[in-house]
Amino acid sequence: MSIPGIPGLGQIAPQHHQNHHQSTNRIIQLRPFGEWRFQVPRGANATVRVLSGTAERDGTELALNRSYSFTRTRSKILTWTGCTLEISGELDSDNLVQYNSPEESSYLPVMNLHFYLHERRQSLKRGPRVLICGTPNTGKSTVARTLVALATRAGSQPLFGNIDPREGLLTLPGCLSAAVFGTVMDVEDPEGGTGVTSTPSSGPSAVPVKLPMAYYFGREKMEDDFGLWKELVKKLASSVRAKFEEDEIVKGSGIVLDSPGVELVSLQEGIEGLVHAVEEFAINVVVVLGGEEKEFYEGVVGRLKGKKTVHGEEVEVVGLEKIDGVVGRDEMFAQANREASIKEYFFGDGRRTLSPFTQSVGFDDVAIFKASDDDDDQQPVLEQAEISEEMAHWTLAVMNASVNDPPETIQQAPVIGWVAIANVDEDKRRLRILSPVSGRLGNQPMVWGRWPEPYINLIG
Amino acid sequence: MADNADDVADDYRQALEDLNVNSRLEIATLTNIAKENANHGLAIVEVITNHIKKCPPNRTLPALYVLDSVVKNVPTPYGLYFGPKLYSIFMGAYTKVDNPTRAKMNEMLKTWKQPVPGSISKKPVFPIEQVRPIENALIAAKNAAFAATQSSLQGQQQLMRGRQPVAPTRNTPTPPTGRGYQPPPHGQFQHQDAYPIRPSSGHNGIPSRATPQPAPPVVGYSQHHQQQQQQPAAREGYGAPQGISIDKLNYDIQQLIDAEKTEFARDPLDTSKQTKLMALLDLQGVVQKQQSLPQNERLPHKELMVIRDRIAELAALNLRAQKQQQPPQPSHMSAASAAAAFHAPHTATYSQPPYTATPTPPVVSQSQPAASLPQLPPAIAALLGRTSQTHQPPPPPPPPPQPVSGGAGAGAGAGSLSIDSLLGRGALATLLSGVAQKSATPTPTPPQVSTPQYPSTIPPAAAAAIAALRSPSQQTPVQFPPAVPTPAPAAAPPPADPSALLAMLRQTGLIGNNAQAAGSTPPLPIPPRFPLPGGMAVPPPPPGYMDRATIQLTPASLKLFRPHLIPLHLDALGPPCTQCGRRFKTDEEGRRRKTAHMDWHFKVHQRIVEAERRGQHRSWFVDEMDWIRSHEEADVDYVSHNSSSSTKPNNNNAATTMTTTKKKQCYMRVPEDATKVNSACPICQEKFEMKWLDEAQEWVWMDAMKVGGRIFHGTCYAEVHGGSAAATSQGYRQTPERVLGKRKAEDEGHGFRSKVKMEGY
Repeated sequence: MSIPGIPGLGQIAPQHHQNHHQSTNRIIQLRPFGEWRFQVPRGANATVRVLSGTAERDGTELALNRSYSFTRTRSKILTWTGCTLEISGELDSDNLVQYNSPEESSYLPVMNLHFYLHERRQSLKRGPRVLICGTPNTGKSTVARTLVALATRAGSQPLFGNIDPREGLLTLPGCLSAAVFGTVMDVEDPEGGTGVTSTPSSGPSAVPVKLPMAYYFGREKMEDDFGLWKELVKKLASSVRAKFEEDEIVKGSGIVLDSPGVELVSLQEGIEGLVHAVEEFAINVVVVLGGEEKEFYEGVVGRLKGKKTVHGEEVEVVGLEKIDGVVGRDEMFAQANREASIKEYFFGDGRRTLSPFTQSVGFDDVAIFKASDDDDDQQPVLEQAEISEEMAHWTLAVMNASVNDPPETIQQAPVIGWVAIANVDEDKRRLRILSPVSGRLGNQPMVWGRWPEPYINLIG
Repeated sequence: MADNADDVADDYRQALEDLNVNSRLEIATLTNIAKENANHGLAIVEVITNHIKKCPPNRTLPALYVLDSVVKNVPTPYGLYFGPKLYSIFMGAYTKVDNPTRAKMNEMLKTWKQPVPGSISKKPVFPIEQVRPIENALIAAKNAAFAATQSSLQGQQQLMRGRQPVAPTRNTPTPPTGRGYQPPPHGQFQHQDAYPIRPSSGHNGIPSRATPQPAPPVVGYSQHHQQQQQQPAAREGYGAPQGISIDKLNYDIQQLIDAEKTEFARDPLDTSKQTKLMALLDLQGVVQKQQSLPQNERLPHKELMVIRDRIAELAALNLRAQKQQQPPQPSHMSAASAAAAFHAPHTATYSQPPYTATPTPPVVSQSQPAASLPQLPPAIAALLGRTSQTHQPPPPPPPPPQPVSGGAGAGAGAGSLSIDSLLGRGALATLLSGVAQKSATPTPTPPQVSTPQYPSTIPPAAAAAIAALRSPSQQTPVQFPPAVPTPAPAAAPPPADPSALLAMLRQTGLIGNNAQAAGSTPPLPIPPRFPLPGGMAVPPPPPGYMDRATIQLTPASLKLFRPHLIPLHLDALGPPCTQCGRRFKTDEEGRRRKTAHMDWHFKVHQRIVEAERRGQHRSWFVDEMDWIRSHEEADVDYVSHNSSSSTKPNNNNAATTMTTTKKKQCYMRVPEDATKVNSACPICQEKFEMKWLDEAQEWVWMDAMKVGGRIFHGTCYAEVHGGSAAATSQGYRQTPERVLGKRKAEDEGHGFRSKVKMEGY
């Protein structure tokens, strides 16, 4: 049509969140090791200010008397020393958790673990490689993030890795990635500084950005394509090894690796995956959360007992109880967050507006690949995808490879970013593509995965 | 008071950039400045126009109020200057702002149709011919948005059902994927919840509420409000999605048929026109039947919507066909005038009184979004269409109306009109493509990023350079080098502001990217690379750290409370930074770092403001080698050039493009050199047909090929050198390849090099 739509015209955001939760403005006191757990729904906003004492979110300290603003966030503010917080805004729910003694807190072991790792970083040239694993909803990501943040705070520059495709670390979901965290994390980021908004843009950022190395898996669970997952773990591990070799500080700081939650129904495969990661990353400290889950814990210990890393170190396994207060997976919330991160990847968040580019390209001018659909037991291979309307609204990973490379090379190439297919015109054989950076896309293969799911309303 | 137009423009630009809220006082001041400098009105108009185009969404509304205030208070000359650009300014702004702002813009638009309150003159603020196209476009866009919502809902359902191939749907209206949807500015962000799938309800779709807009010094907005209430909503039928009036549709179709008949009568041998006419008559039959059918047998609403949109498209296409024939306006552009010389005969007609008889079909503006020319009174438009039609027959519009650039977004809506008006105007278009490349030169490097020390000093300098380039230059006409990008509008402003068009094209993705808006978008970042000397050492552990921490890796040991450890990651690390909470020790080294850190904060804050003005975008990630070599540097901005990540993907550019698209049409990029723009094929002595080619994202000459330094029509060449058809086709392939290859180089230069800026803390 000659006059196309203007995005969002006539579609007004319903203010539906207004009645669901209360607006609040109050001051709370936390005793040492106390936690203030809160849930800010999407579209609402809550601010937190530390009036006195010290407080932190997942290991990153909050500055005194500065307002931190949160949206679509489920997290907590923790204090080691006690603090006074001023809270205002709209919250779905929040609660104060106070302990009679520090021993009751789930974070005491985490803090001790940090000091243990810190000691090893100081004494050895090769920093500890830590795998955080556990059954679902045991707080793996939170613990991993806290350990990284505490290490950064103590002056280390650890690598933070993630091999759980369900969530992204500085990427959209569906990737395995790693990045050096040598600078403070973004406290206000819904994902606590590991969201895709913390990646580089063309402009300055008030919180230092992190640069990830990402490989695209394109599925939700590692079991969906176990062979590819293992391959990508291997690729990521080799990049990490190379990074260690290149950078003494990073090598001395080691890595903290977050992993997919292992379901008891697929216990064997899950443990298999973890063992694979332990081998590839030369992990020497394995933290099993939800240690009370005997079957899983013993499974891991059984497989790793007596194992040595390539460097000759013993693989140590320690079981910890599941982190108290971990919110069970809320699929609606998780999906909303995935969509939000796709949007923020292209358009920035409330603090930083980014301008992506749309371009129209012919079907023949782009190379889009997808995993083959064969249902037999063979590992799916990448093949050129037939462009059709069902591709609309999906985000495609742009690979750092050549379109002429063999499929395996493309599949295992690093991701340089994502594009979103705005629409597909089969008659004219043209696509409209939203990309973060202007420039022709024809020379880079794009891979159409199955995760994260398409985001219908990304543009208009 | 500066008396130089450049200085005035520069001052004005700075004042505008500082305007970020709806401050009545500031707007009044800006209005007064504009009044006092009315003799430099063109420069000020240029500044305001550019500012509205480039500023972030949250600053758009205040800038529009400035425009509004200036025009209402100083109608002469500003009303005249802004009028022709009104469409592009308004639509450009509309696409980037959020809904509440749009509502305010709608209100503003209404006031433009009224006389200035308190004024003796009964003339509206802007002539109705200039306001109506905007209204039409808004209505059409709203309908399209509704249709798109419907279709995306369908799409969603299809997806839910699984990924089996979807049966090709009838022409699904394109989703409104304009130039990117801009997230609302900070303040409103939290209210812009999910993207609700909700059709517009009222004819406005946007609740108009009392707005906190500032009244300009003379004109009270409140007066307008009252008047607005009485404003008849002449477009009720189209605004409400349900209200597709079949009568109206019939009328539109009839208009088209009439127009088509006229066309057909002029060229009875053209079968495409014949088929088109037949199709229209058929459609008319179908639509007319609707009226006699019972409600439940009628076409569903959506179908009607599609028909209606198509009719609008057709009308627009018709119009385009006419417009393509238009000679360029007597554009008072130094550079363009040389290039446009060949159009001189047409231009001459301007000074003559218009013919009274205009054989072109009447332009139905109500239902045809792009139908009436925003820039020209219809009579002149018709006249132009006519004069040129006698010159060369118009190419028949393609029988099925096709969306411009495969669907296009809002920007394209505004843009397509301009493109069309350009298509017929070769010189200007070429010039533009020149601009596209050249305009990148004033801001060749990432202005701030590369200069950590005084970053803010660079952009003004660059901006000044741009301003200089843009300053009116009509006093020194033809001898200007053709590369000078921006034509200066003069007494009779050119129909389309080329830079506006350019910006629009770029926004819609029609122009690729190597053309960075001068000063608007920073060039892409260069990935960080290689270890900078002097990486920070890990700070030494606090004394006694290890002695005190005797923790075993066992659950029992980890659960033991060791109170002495707590201060170790708090006070022992020194007092925290007041801005980010990072702690610094109080020793010499710590103080040094803290100073660097605070400097960093300061610089970043400064640059965030700057970057907001320029616009920014997410960077590509880097490849493995660069990632491995990049270092986290504390409190240092580092930018480094990366070759491997940008060249590697590009190496295959030409080859892959060529292998994937074997049957390429023969074309070549229009030369940048304006003197060559008018060159003709040495064989047939005819000029080359210029067109925008989506595939290449370039302005190209179709059927052109370069052989031995001379450019021929491919067909002419093949005819003459008949025997060497093979060689010719070889030539065909090589030509675009070379062109693409060249583009590749430019990509590397401006666009694709992905520079990543890492910021330490």
